[in-house]
Amino acid sequence: MVRNKCRPILAVMAAAAGLATAMPGMAADKTVAMVLGVKGSPFYQALACGAQAKARELGLDLTVSAPDQFAADSQIPVVNAVAATRPAVAAVVPTDMQALVEPLRQLNGRGTHVITVDQTVSDLSFVKTQILTDNTAGGRMAADAMNALLAGKGKVLTITQPPGSAAQDAREAGFRNELKKFPGISYLGPQYQSDDPQKAAEIVTSTLSAHPDLAGVFSTNDQGAIGAITGLRQAGVTGKVKVVAYDAATAEVNALKNGSIQALIAQNPRQEGEAAMSAAAALIADKPVQKITLTEIVTIKAGDTAAADKYEYRANCN
Amino acid sequence: MNRMKSFFGRADAEPRLALEDDPTQTPRERLSRFIGGGWILILLLALVAVFWISRPAQFGSAYNLTMLAVNAAILLVLSVGQTFVIVSAGIDLSLGAVLVFSSVVSAQAMLWITGSPAGTFGTTPGGWDVVGVGLVVALASGAAWGAFNGLLVALARIPPLIVTLGSLGMALGLAQILTGGVDVRAVPDLLVTQIGTGTLFGIPMLVVIACVVAIVAAVVLHLTRFGLHAFAVGSNAEAARRSGVRLRLRVITIYALSGMLAGLAATMSIARFSTTTINGHAMDNLSTISAVVLGGTSLFGGIGSIIGTVIGVFIPIVLLNGFVILGIPPFWQTVAMGAVLILAVWIDQLKRRTRQGS
Repeated sequence: MVRNKCRPILAVMAAAAGLATAMPGMAADKTVAMVLGVKGSPFYQALACGAQAKARELGLDLTVSAPDQFAADSQIPVVNAVAATRPAVAAVVPTDMQALVEPLRQLNGRGTHVITVDQTVSDLSFVKTQILTDNTAGGRMAADAMNALLAGKGKVLTITQPPGSAAQDAREAGFRNELKKFPGISYLGPQYQSDDPQKAAEIVTSTLSAHPDLAGVFSTNDQGAIGAITGLRQAGVTGKVKVVAYDAATAEVNALKNGSIQALIAQNPRQEGEAAMSAAAALIADKPVQKITLTEIVTIKAGDTAAADKYEYRANCN
Repeated sequence: MNRMKSFFGRADAEPRLALEDDPTQTPRERLSRFIGGGWILILLLALVAVFWISRPAQFGSAYNLTMLAVNAAILLVLSVGQTFVIVSAGIDLSLGAVLVFSSVVSAQAMLWITGSPAGTFGTTPGGWDVVGVGLVVALASGAAWGAFNGLLVALARIPPLIVTLGSLGMALGLAQILTGGVDVRAVPDLLVTQIGTGTLFGIPMLVVIACVVAIVAAVVLHLTRFGLHAFAVGSNAEAARRSGVRLRLRVITIYALSGMLAGLAATMSIARFSTTTINGHAMDNLSTISAVVLGGTSLFGGIGSIIGTVIGVFIPIVLLNGFVILGIPPFWQTVAMGAVLILAVWIDQLKRRTRQGS
């Protein structure tokens, strides 16, 4: 009886093995492995789309992986597995400035060129190039946009990730420092949501209870923005409280078009993905690469639908 | 002795080596019970075989196999604690949060002793004495949270699911309060280089620690009275109490043990990542529960084994590793992991039913 149960299962396993072996083996020259920050994020999806399009154009063999959570303990097993495949180049979005140093160093030690994309690490000795956006400048642009929307006065709240994410910290710091130039604006400080729109909504409604004259909310990423506008809608102050949001995910672009968000600070993840592939191709061809590649950030104001459509983070690669 | 057996109802399904063997079992039945999750072992070997055959140079490389073991080490230590708790018909959802809290307290203690400013990148020159203090602090903090859980479950009679859910929130929140949300990034260099990346005869230290923990736990669970009482409490708590088992003390010590292992895992985590990871370990509680269940431990208590847990820990890790190496798109990995969990437990249920039916 045991053998009868065993046989079909073993047969399935053997078939799966056969199928997997039939997959084309990877040529060691032009393989590029990309490890995103997290699965299911429109920003990283758009980044992967840009990378895939450029990889096709340049003839690179690209595989994309991503961890379940934007956290080091979730990402490191994925990085280890990528290291086992020995690609020519690895483009990684490090989810922690420190914890990823050792795994990336191991990756480099096994003969793979390492590129960091979108975030960075504290030890750059083995990183060939960094693809970055200037998050501090983005924060400053957000502050300028907020000042214009509020005509120079009012209370402002920031919704951001807990401290420790270099990009988010830089955006909040840039925002805060630029706000100091505008004496009429009083800054309530940052509140933390961990990529949870539900939490962001609760933070906004609680802040409105404490400060009914809240004038503006700045969100440093898309999840916070979605939560913020939900909170404002619940409180019935959509449009009265001005929202400036980082990133141009589809939900945010829609909110911009229907008036819930008044300004977007859009990055260009497709450009980041493309820049990563160009750098990878250059590394494979033994050509020199710049140490840092900055990609663009733009302010999109309400009403500028053409720009909104152009910079929207499209997650479906077309 | 025989009276106790009849009280325990499902006694024939437990791998109890300490008692006299049932002469009616065949050696194969005895062996399959000893392994606990016998079919799960075959599933794991089959997965390893599939991935090895498809990508021998990559999956089968010494580097990759070592990395699999290192990635499994911390989760294994946590899952061993969870095994004890689930075997005694409890559940511990607070493991990840207790790990985070213990790592924060331990890192701050070590930093306070060596006197370096907090929040700096890099390592501190703390010696083994500092590391020792950090370890003791982590173990004590984990055991304290565990005892807290156990007290509420045993004395206040609150269901373990609720108690540990509550302590999850409290431990995580307190960890964030203690640090202001910022990870402590300056940890003793010795800890990172000797334990985090160090090796003993070529085996990574973290793997050695996990192996020692698993072996000791297996001995305790299967060969000591403490382990027997754990099974007894899980199988039929009232019968255990009437047989003279000090029920409340057992429950408290089991949860304290689980918490202490979380403290040990916290030190391993600091060693591995060279930083506390406050935003990480969010899914560790569910990962340990699925590892323990995959290994053949019953969620209702009374049945379980450490070897089963070891196999259960490796299955999701091997799956993730194999999928990334094969280049399967990330979302399919999530689907596949859920499917394998259901498949593995279903096969195990089939095995149990045929054994009980015959």
